[in-house]
Amino acid sequence: MNASFLLFTLLNTGFILLVSPLFMSLIKKVKAYAQGRKGPRLLQNYLDLRKLMQKEVVYSPNSSGIMRIAPYLNLAVLLLASLFVPVVFIPDAPAGIGNIIVFLYLLAIERFFTALCGLDAGSSFGGMGSSRLMSLSAVIEPTMVIAFAALAYVLRTVNFHEMFAITAGSTIPESPTLTLISISLFIIIIVETGRIPVDNPATHLELTMMNEAMILEQSGKNLALIELTHAVKQTILMAILINVLVPWGLVTELTFAGLAVSCLYFLLKASLLAGLIGLFESSIAKMRLFRLPSFYMMAFFFSALTILMEVFA
Amino acid sequence: MLEAFIYSAVIALITGTVLPLLYRSKKSRKASFGLSFVSSIFLLAFAGTILYTGKEPVFSAIRFLPGLDFTLTADRLSGGFILLIAAVVPGVSIYSVEYVEHAKSEARKDLQAALTNLFILAMLMVVLAGNMVCFLVFWEIMSLSSLMLVLHDYFLEENKKAGLFYFIMTSLSTAFLFMGFISLFKLTGSAEFGSLSYPANDLTLPFLCLFTGFGIKAGLVPFHKWLPYAHPAAPSSISALMSGVMLKVAIYGFLRFLLSISTPELWWGTLILIAGSLSAVLGVIYAVKESDIKRLLAYSSIENIGIIFTGIGLYLIFKLEGIESLALLSLAGACFHAFNHALFKSLLFLGAGSVVHATGTRNIEAFGGLIKRMPHTTTLFLIASVSIAGLPPTSGFVSEMMLFQAYFYSSALPDPLLKVLLIITLSVLALTSALAAALFVKLFGITFLALPRTRCAQEATEVPKPMLLGEAVLAIFCILSGLFSSRILALLGFDLGIPDMLLLGLILVGTCGLVWITVRNSGPSKTRISKETWGCGILDQFPTMEYTSAGFSEPLVVIFKKIYRTEISSTRTYSDTKESIFNSGTARIHLIKFFEERLYLPVAYAVSLISSQVSRMQNGKLDTYVLYVFIAVLTLMTFTRYFA
Repeated sequence: MNASFLLFTLLNTGFILLVSPLFMSLIKKVKAYAQGRKGPRLLQNYLDLRKLMQKEVVYSPNSSGIMRIAPYLNLAVLLLASLFVPVVFIPDAPAGIGNIIVFLYLLAIERFFTALCGLDAGSSFGGMGSSRLMSLSAVIEPTMVIAFAALAYVLRTVNFHEMFAITAGSTIPESPTLTLISISLFIIIIVETGRIPVDNPATHLELTMMNEAMILEQSGKNLALIELTHAVKQTILMAILINVLVPWGLVTELTFAGLAVSCLYFLLKASLLAGLIGLFESSIAKMRLFRLPSFYMMAFFFSALTILMEVFA
Repeated sequence: MLEAFIYSAVIALITGTVLPLLYRSKKSRKASFGLSFVSSIFLLAFAGTILYTGKEPVFSAIRFLPGLDFTLTADRLSGGFILLIAAVVPGVSIYSVEYVEHAKSEARKDLQAALTNLFILAMLMVVLAGNMVCFLVFWEIMSLSSLMLVLHDYFLEENKKAGLFYFIMTSLSTAFLFMGFISLFKLTGSAEFGSLSYPANDLTLPFLCLFTGFGIKAGLVPFHKWLPYAHPAAPSSISALMSGVMLKVAIYGFLRFLLSISTPELWWGTLILIAGSLSAVLGVIYAVKESDIKRLLAYSSIENIGIIFTGIGLYLIFKLEGIESLALLSLAGACFHAFNHALFKSLLFLGAGSVVHATGTRNIEAFGGLIKRMPHTTTLFLIASVSIAGLPPTSGFVSEMMLFQAYFYSSALPDPLLKVLLIITLSVLALTSALAAALFVKLFGITFLALPRTRCAQEATEVPKPMLLGEAVLAIFCILSGLFSSRILALLGFDLGIPDMLLLGLILVGTCGLVWITVRNSGPSKTRISKETWGCGILDQFPTMEYTSAGFSEPLVVIFKKIYRTEISSTRTYSDTKESIFNSGTARIHLIKFFEERLYLPVAYAVSLISSQVSRMQNGKLDTYVLYVFIAVLTLMTFTRYFA
């Protein structure tokens, strides 16, 4: 633990927390434009969160402690995960912070407890959501691990901080294979944040529900925490893609000007990416549940291809 | 000092075995489990000293015949596995004090107490064995004592079948071990365990025999079928010992052989890696579909044994390719996973035992809502579930991470084909660990959360204190082993550069607290319990509306239907020639037990066919047998004359 890392925890986590709801709104806005609507204003998500924070929490009589603890735990886990993905600057972190395997499994904690929450109240919607989430996440897991292994293969380290230090130091992507990995990473963002064609975040129809089904029983502050967790997760995953593909602007030294540049650059790049996600969502239809494994195979193919290229190069 | 520790432990276990048979009372049963608890403390001290100082003591215990000693030795490998025994036994023995009293008859209670001690003793002696004879003797005692414990409820038809199945498989395992050890003995001329420096093609036969023998006992696919039969039949405390410790003793035996070879071959590593990955993924895929709680856990053991073998395979591959650091990382990962699996799987079996005790059934579909009725059991079960699902900062995560890390660094391998193999097995490992998470969401969620689905779950009550205490001891070990993983490994001299879980855990707890405080202080913190779970306007919620275990795993069953080999056949008859008006038809869903129907049964039929032919030679008349002996002698003489 040193001063640089302590400052990093405050700045990085604070920054990610602050901007995460913005990207959620941005995607909604882009989708609305694509559908010919005006859409909610960009600050709407912040207002929603504030309003939810003021409301009382209603629990089902069947629910247990899991439902009361999980929202807090999940946000804490995602905040911990945000330390693994530097956005403002790359600090001198203690060993182990930034390890991509730990990062993957931090996401798994969030999934595990969200799924348990879905089962907790005994509603059939919740059960359906958690069953689908856990099944599909099991099928996407090899893809995620292979994509991250591909990153480790190309950049020869298993630590995000070191990886980004390498990519940020170069003006063009370190290796052309990184572009291939980016396709996989993009699909992973879509899957992990439950967007079309995997899941529809704007729906309340039980046929299509996954993530929304599990949080039907949530209300008030707990719902706010869950929404925030979701937003933070999306930002972190986007940050990985950005730092791998277009890492310009990420500073490794701590200066005030550098920080400002870093933050501004990230805001710009992430906004563009959010726009892209919005367009992607608008241009494609929701897939049938059992068609999804073949969609995941595509991402698997790209990351496996990357590794094979590295192997035989 | 070391001798004192080990002899005290052995004496305590022997006394624990004899006592309940001599003095048949509740008190002596208690004393017997007390003795196994005491022995585990001695073992802990013994294993700790061995591991820390690296001493390699040799105790020559009894000399039966010239050249046939019962030598006991210990080194750091056996020290690690003794530590494993010493970590599991305290929890199990405290749990058993109360658990054993639920058996139906006094005689069986005494027998269970005695056999538990004998079983622990046998496993300990196998690990301490210094030569092959000693190893095999205690190996057989271990198998037979566990067989008797599997047959604890011998009057149930399914348990008879389970016992027979287990007996055949374990005898098969011993037969392969005999073959392996005899062929080693032929090479070296000595029955002592020691380093082997022979050309690898001489060692092919011993390797294959020992791999099969230990593989059967450890439950490697395709020799795994005895596990899902034996575990539900045995009492839960015994399942905990069998799954937690006995399978690891088989791993120990295999490692003892493998590490003594100075010239292994690459294809061994490949074979072990592939067999391990296959076991891991098939084990968990079968487990997902299971709805018998103990059978599900048995399949999950097959999965974890697969992960351990994956680590061993990786070790061999990296070692032969000259990447020492990764070889060490994989081997340490495999051993640490064996240790961790021992802890959380025994905890899970004990928890399952409590649940079965409270509800009277093993069927997950009958559970539900136990979190309100058995809160302490639930908490302990959750700790184990989180661990086995491999979530940081628990122990299950650390050992899996070590393997993942070894895989991720494998770009240093020179051989491209090996790399491709590693990529494939890596994705299999990833699939396995994600499926394990799904499995334990299902097991925990369906068992403990929501509303009780049946009367027996409705009326369940918390189990007595000793049972909870036994589980709690294991849970504490489980947590400590996760948080202090990198420190423990560093203390043992393995500086592997893995992330520090203590730091991670502290940050996580800190962040949790921070989030809690911030949220509490922002806005009013009112909560209300509503009347019901929202159900689209349906006012009363019935347990039948909940998701079931089969429903939960349905998507995975559909995705992996090729593996489950579900045969759906249907016939239709129509009233018209254009086949548009449906008249009648039949549909049939058949689950093929692939390994049983396609692998075990053909072998069993062949064996019974041959033996029925052989049995025709038996007619019970002395002169016929004399004739057989005469023919045999003649044949031998001819044979030695012309071929020797």
